[in-house]
Amino acid sequence: MVASIATSAFFPVPSSSSAASLKNSKTIGEGSDSLNVRRIAAKPASASSAMQVKANAQAVPKINGSNVCLKPETLKHDDDVPSSVPRTFYNQLPDWSVLLAAITTIFLAAEKQWTLIDWKPRRPDMLADAFGLGKFVQDGLAFRQNFSIRSYEIGADRTASIETLMNHLQETALNHVRIAGLMDDGFGSTPEMTKRNLIWVVAKMHVFVEKYPSWGDVVQVDTWVSPSGKNGMRRDWHVIDCQTGESIVKATSVWVLMNKNTRKLAKMPDEVRSEIGPYFIERTAVVDEDSRKLPKLDHNTAQHVRKSLTPRWGDLDVNQHVNNVKYIGWILESAPTSILESHELAGMTLEYRRECGRDSVLQSLTSVSTECSDGLQGTTMECVHLLQLENGDEIIRGRTKWRPKRTGLQQHGALATAST
Amino acid sequence: MLLSCTFVNPTVVRDGPTVAQCRRREPSVAAAPIRPGESVLAALRCSRAGHEAVGLCAPETTEGGGKGFAERLRLGRLEEDGLSYKENFIVRCYEVGINKTATVETIANLLQEVGCNHAQSVGFSTDGFATTTTMRELRLIWVTSRMHIEIYKYPAWGDVVEIETWCQGEGRIGTRRDWILKDLATGLVIGRATSKWVMMNQDTRKLQRVSDEVKEEYLVFCPQTPRLAFPEEENDSLKKITKLKDPADYSRLGLVPRRADLDMNQHVNNVTYIGWVLESMPQEIIDTHELQTITLDYRRECQHDDMVDSLTSSESEEILVAERTNGYPCKKQNGHGSDHLQFLHFLRLSGTGLEINRGRTIWRKLIR
Repeated sequence: MVASIATSAFFPVPSSSSAASLKNSKTIGEGSDSLNVRRIAAKPASASSAMQVKANAQAVPKINGSNVCLKPETLKHDDDVPSSVPRTFYNQLPDWSVLLAAITTIFLAAEKQWTLIDWKPRRPDMLADAFGLGKFVQDGLAFRQNFSIRSYEIGADRTASIETLMNHLQETALNHVRIAGLMDDGFGSTPEMTKRNLIWVVAKMHVFVEKYPSWGDVVQVDTWVSPSGKNGMRRDWHVIDCQTGESIVKATSVWVLMNKNTRKLAKMPDEVRSEIGPYFIERTAVVDEDSRKLPKLDHNTAQHVRKSLTPRWGDLDVNQHVNNVKYIGWILESAPTSILESHELAGMTLEYRRECGRDSVLQSLTSVSTECSDGLQGTTMECVHLLQLENGDEIIRGRTKWRPKRTGLQQHGALATAST
Repeated sequence: MLLSCTFVNPTVVRDGPTVAQCRRREPSVAAAPIRPGESVLAALRCSRAGHEAVGLCAPETTEGGGKGFAERLRLGRLEEDGLSYKENFIVRCYEVGINKTATVETIANLLQEVGCNHAQSVGFSTDGFATTTTMRELRLIWVTSRMHIEIYKYPAWGDVVEIETWCQGEGRIGTRRDWILKDLATGLVIGRATSKWVMMNQDTRKLQRVSDEVKEEYLVFCPQTPRLAFPEEENDSLKKITKLKDPADYSRLGLVPRRADLDMNQHVNNVTYIGWVLESMPQEIIDTHELQTITLDYRRECQHDDMVDSLTSSESEEILVAERTNGYPCKKQNGHGSDHLQFLHFLRLSGTGLEINRGRTIWRKLIR
C-alpha cells in the first residue's frame, strides 16, 4: 500500500457552481448547442444581443487552445459565461449591467470554490486542456485524457515502457479528481477524507497490455470508479490508440482508506461514501481478472534475485515515499534477461503490502513459474515476483505474464544502420 | 533512452514554411534545393518519403493518416525562420518530486525530447541518433560532452513549459545545442540550458574529428550569427570543473543502473547521470535547498553491469549570485549570496575508479 500521489478518489460535485464548472469541463460543444437553441427561440431584439454576447464569448477561445496567451481571468470568466444562468439573461434581459453583475457573481462564487483547492487558480485549465489535460465523458462519470508518448518514455525495445503506461494511468486518476473540482490536498483526498486524515492507498492492481505504443503515438485513457466491497473503491482504466482505435491497456485497481498518521487501514465513513458514491458506475475494463492467490517467494524458491535496490531522490513523492510505479521497475529488475529480450509483458497482477521510503534497501525476487505453449504464437511465460526489504518485510507480491515479442518494423533490422 | 540525442539542424531559411510542416509522420518535404550537401540531404528526404525504415520512421509513416492529430497534440514546430524549434510540454504528476515541482531529471528529459523532435522535424534520422547519412557511413554518432542547466523557477504539476531550442557549431570540432525554457502562461523565462556535443565512432567508441565537408553538411542549417542561451561573459556554463579532493564530504557508493536507465544500445542514458550525481547530496541540503544550476562534464559511458560511486564535496560555502543581464531575466533570490551553496561532484566506476563524469551544482535556499 503506497500512500503517494497516485491516489485516485474522485468525488461528486455538491454545489451548483461546481456543477457549472463540471459541465464546462465537459465539452464546449454542448454549451454552444443549447445556446443556439435558445437563440432560435429568442425575440429578434434579444437575438442580436445574444449573438453579440456569444461572439464575445468566442473571442476568448478555450479548449482548442488556439490562443494560449490569454489572461487566466478572462478564460475563467468565459468559463462561466456559457453555463446555465447567463444564457437566460441573453434572451430576456439585454441589460448589460445586470448581465455583468450576474456574471461577476458566478465568477466570484466559482473562484471561492476554487480557492478551497490547493492548486493555483491562475492556472487556466482551459489552457491545459489544449495540451490534453482531459475532460469528462459518458455523462460526467468517466474521465478521458490523451497522452503523446515522449522519446524518453520508450524503453530499450523502442516501445513505451510499462512504467510509462502506468504513469499515464496515475496521471489520469489524479486529473479526474482535480477536474471534478474536489481535490482537497493534491493527493486525491476529498474534504471529508482530509478532515479525518484519510488517504487512498492502492491495494491491488491488474494491468493487461495488448499493444505497446511507440514514440509519438497518441493514446487515449478513459478512467472511472466503482465500489469495491464495503470499504474500498475500484478504479478502472481503458487505453486506446487514438489513431487506430486499438485497445492498448486494460487495467483495474482496488483502493482502500488509510489514516495517514497512524498508517492503519480505515473503514469508509458514510460522509466519504456520499461524496464519492454518485460517481460510481458499474463498468469493468478487465473481464478476465486473474484471481489466483499470489504465492510468496523466498530465497530458496526464487530463481533470480537482485539485491541492494535503493530509491533515488527522483523516485520520491512529496511525502518522500516511493511512487507506486517505481516498484514495477524494481520487480522487473530480477526478471531474467532472456525473457525480457524475447518476450513482452502482457499482464501483471500486483498486491501492495507495504510502502517504503528513501532509506529502504530492497530485494527483488523472481521465479519463472510456468511455460505454456500456445501453439500458434510461441511460448507464453509466467513469472512470480516478490519485492521485499532486506529484513524480509514484503512490499509487493506479483505475477506477470509474458508473450513473445512481435517481430517487425520496430525491431533491430531498422537499427542496423545506426547502432552497433 | 537515447545516448546522443538530437543534434538538430534547422533547415535553411529558404525552406521555411515547407519545413515547418515537416513532421515525423509526414512524407518528406518536397526536395527544395539545398547546398552544399545537397545530394546527401536529398537522399535523406527521399528516404523518408519512400517510407523506408529509417529507425522509427517505418511504423509511423504507415499511420500517416493521423498526422494532423498527433501534431496538434505534439505542439512543436519550427520557427518561421527555420532556425529554431519550439515545443510545449505540460508537467505530469509523476514528473513532480519532493518539492511539488518538476524534478531536474524531468527538465533534462524534456530538453532531450525537444531536441529529438527538432532533429526529426528537419529530416535527420529518427532512430534517436539524429545522424546524417554521411555520419552513418562513417559510423559516427553524437555524444554529449557537457551539459549545463539553470532553472530559475521550477514548474509545478499542470504547468505548461515552452522550450525553444537551436544548435550551432562550437569551436573547431564541436557543436552546441541551446535551450530556453519559458512558462507558457506568464511568458517568463524559467530556465536556460546549453550543451556541447562531439562526434564519436560508434564502433571504436573514440572521439573523432570530422572533415569540413561532413561538418558543413549539418552546419549549413545552423544560424550563422551566433545565438547563445548564455550570452553573458564569464557565465557559469564555461567554468572549468576541477576534480574534487579525496576524501569527499559525502558519498553514495554502489549505485547500479536500472533497466529503465538504458537506451537501446544498453548504455546508460544521459539523464540518469544527473540522478546519480544528486544521490550523494545530503538530506539536509535536499530538504532546505533547491537545485539552481547543474553542470556536468561527461567523460566515459557506463553500462548495465557497472557499479557507480557518487561523490560530493562542498566547493565553497557561499557564492555571490551575479545579476544576469542581456535581457534574460533571472529570478532574484533573497538578498544576494548568503542563500547559495556550491558543490563539486564526481562519478566513478566502483571497481576501477575511472571517471565517468564530474559536475558542479549550485543550490538556492527553498522558501517554504
